[in-house]
Amino acid sequence: MKYTFTYHDYKESDKARFHTPGTIKIKLLFLIGVLIIGLFFTQLVFANNLATDGQKLSDVQQEIKRLESENMTLKADIATESSLNTLSKKAEVLGFKKPTKVIDL
Amino acid sequence: MDRLRIFQFLIYGAIVLIAIRLFYWQFISDVSSHSDAYANEVTIPATRGEILTSDGFPLVANQQAFILYGKPNEITQNQNDLAKKLAPFLISEKYATGSAQLSEEEIKQKDKEIEEEQNQIAEKITNKKQFWVQLARKVTLPLKTKIEALNIKGIGFEDDAKRYYPEASLSAHLLGFVGSDNLGDDTGYFGLEGYYNNILKGKNGRIGQLQDPFGLPILVGKYRPIDPKKGSDLQLSIDRTAQFIVEQQLRLDVEKYGAKQGTVIVADPTSGNIIAMASYPTYSPSIFGEYSDDFYRNPAVADTYEPGSTFKLITMAAALDLSLITPNTRCDVCSGPREIGGYKISTWNNKYNPNATMTEVIQHSDNIGMTFVSDKLGLDKFYDYINKFGFGKKTGIDLQEESPGVIRDKNDWKTIDLATASFGQGLAVTPIQMVQAVQAIANNGKLISPKVVKKVVSQASEELIKPQKVEQVISAKTAAQLTEMMVNAVEQGEAKAFAPKGYRIAGKTGTAQIPVAGHYDPNKTVASFIGFAPADKPKFVMLVRFTEPTASIFGSETAAPTFFSIAKRLFDYWQISPNSN
Repeated sequence: MKYTFTYHDYKESDKARFHTPGTIKIKLLFLIGVLIIGLFFTQLVFANNLATDGQKLSDVQQEIKRLESENMTLKADIATESSLNTLSKKAEVLGFKKPTKVIDL
Repeated sequence: MDRLRIFQFLIYGAIVLIAIRLFYWQFISDVSSHSDAYANEVTIPATRGEILTSDGFPLVANQQAFILYGKPNEITQNQNDLAKKLAPFLISEKYATGSAQLSEEEIKQKDKEIEEEQNQIAEKITNKKQFWVQLARKVTLPLKTKIEALNIKGIGFEDDAKRYYPEASLSAHLLGFVGSDNLGDDTGYFGLEGYYNNILKGKNGRIGQLQDPFGLPILVGKYRPIDPKKGSDLQLSIDRTAQFIVEQQLRLDVEKYGAKQGTVIVADPTSGNIIAMASYPTYSPSIFGEYSDDFYRNPAVADTYEPGSTFKLITMAAALDLSLITPNTRCDVCSGPREIGGYKISTWNNKYNPNATMTEVIQHSDNIGMTFVSDKLGLDKFYDYINKFGFGKKTGIDLQEESPGVIRDKNDWKTIDLATASFGQGLAVTPIQMVQAVQAIANNGKLISPKVVKKVVSQASEELIKPQKVEQVISAKTAAQLTEMMVNAVEQGEAKAFAPKGYRIAGKTGTAQIPVAGHYDPNKTVASFIGFAPADKPKFVMLVRFTEPTASIFGSETAAPTFFSIAKRLFDYWQISPNSN
């Protein structure tokens, strides 16, 4: 008896039917995989940059510290120069005298 | 199984084992704390707040300074040579004038100090077991530059800001100073630095970072920095010019009158704000360690003394307020000395004024007249008014080390105590208490407790400081009557020769004998003058007090002239003309 493989045809048609969703699934999985790997490498790149950005941060911190110290010194100098003690001594050296008579007009 | 399969199995097994172990180290084990080997936690010191006068000028600021440290293991030089090089830079600042300006005695002291410093440094750096030793604190920037120029290996510097005083020792007693506590942290002592220490010191920050072998921070580390919180600034009610005038005049007159000590307080009668406060001798807060502890206490708030005749104002105010007397009531016991409780009471100059009015009693500073008033008051009422005027308790001024004075319990008073207290002997007050009391007379009878700080300024906000107490202690009418009596005392009393012409000044002299070993020493006095001006609309109330003046023992000849000299300069400064009275 001749035996025909109609099942095979059925499988082929099924394949043709189910091929599309399977492709999509695989493609989706592939995309997700690429995304994960891409993010992973991006994180690696950023982490690497951050790790070496310590030098920049250190430089900025040093500069801030230097400017703050300079400000403190300048503030102290300004205060000294404008203090009444300093001004009265300078006035004396320049020959200024206290008024002996005040006239109210 | 063939060998390939076995090998494959072994590889997979190894991978699984490694994964398990990694999982264990990452999530289960306590090893995370060991990663701190590469972590560095550093305290970021907070900047201490400044102290500013009423015009915003910094009386106390911060200055760049450093800790000088040594690492004994890294020092290659001979210890003694190194100590010899460093020691001259690390001795007291008072020798900074240079040898040419020092006396011989001072040069000897300086050399001795250098030698001691040398020995200390040598001892510290000899100990090779120590990794790090502190050699000096608060090394200024110019000194640091000089030390760095020596190119010494094994020493270094860390930040250690110090206080800076642009006006040198101006207001030293008011300000206090900053020293170290037992943990080595900066702490304020005495005055404003002590009272407001918690506000001024701020809050230290912290930075914890992973660092690479070069010491550079690794930013992917898990720690986050905590920023330091800068201390709040204090803006005072102190007028810088008035303070300068007061200190200048006080210094001159303490020396002129040969006094042991002098104090001046100037306050605003309408607000209780302190405009100026000075004592002499004083000290320099930048080198406070060079002075003995006696210098640190602020005599204006910590010293107690018997006020003498200035206290007559309180007795008179009480009797007037209770309508027991009027300014024209006549004293019918004033013709001669009185015997009270077995003691003889006499006037200061043995001159008597029969039938004197109360105004004349104040004018002549008549002790007998005051016993007449205290008789009318009686102990209970008199004691009440002493309390109302704030004596026997702290005024609450915002300075550390305030004393409450000494007023004995009412039950311990005898008849003689009532009499002597009426003219200010037998009780002890502080200068600030006297100012507070007379401020009430100048302010229509309303007492306002004194304060020095006007506002506290932080980065986020400003907080106004209000007086602790505001109270009507006598009526406005009593205050007005007493003011006229005080004006009369200045214009007709013992000190009239010194009063500036054209101004109505209300005031009262005081000469109190000092109790020594159970009796009063007739040659040692506390001479004072208290008053306010212009009398009709007072701009200031002021107390001048000299302890043991030798040129003259009387307040009318020492404290009063100083008061008037300062008052004249303040009138000019504030442009108060005689006509504006």
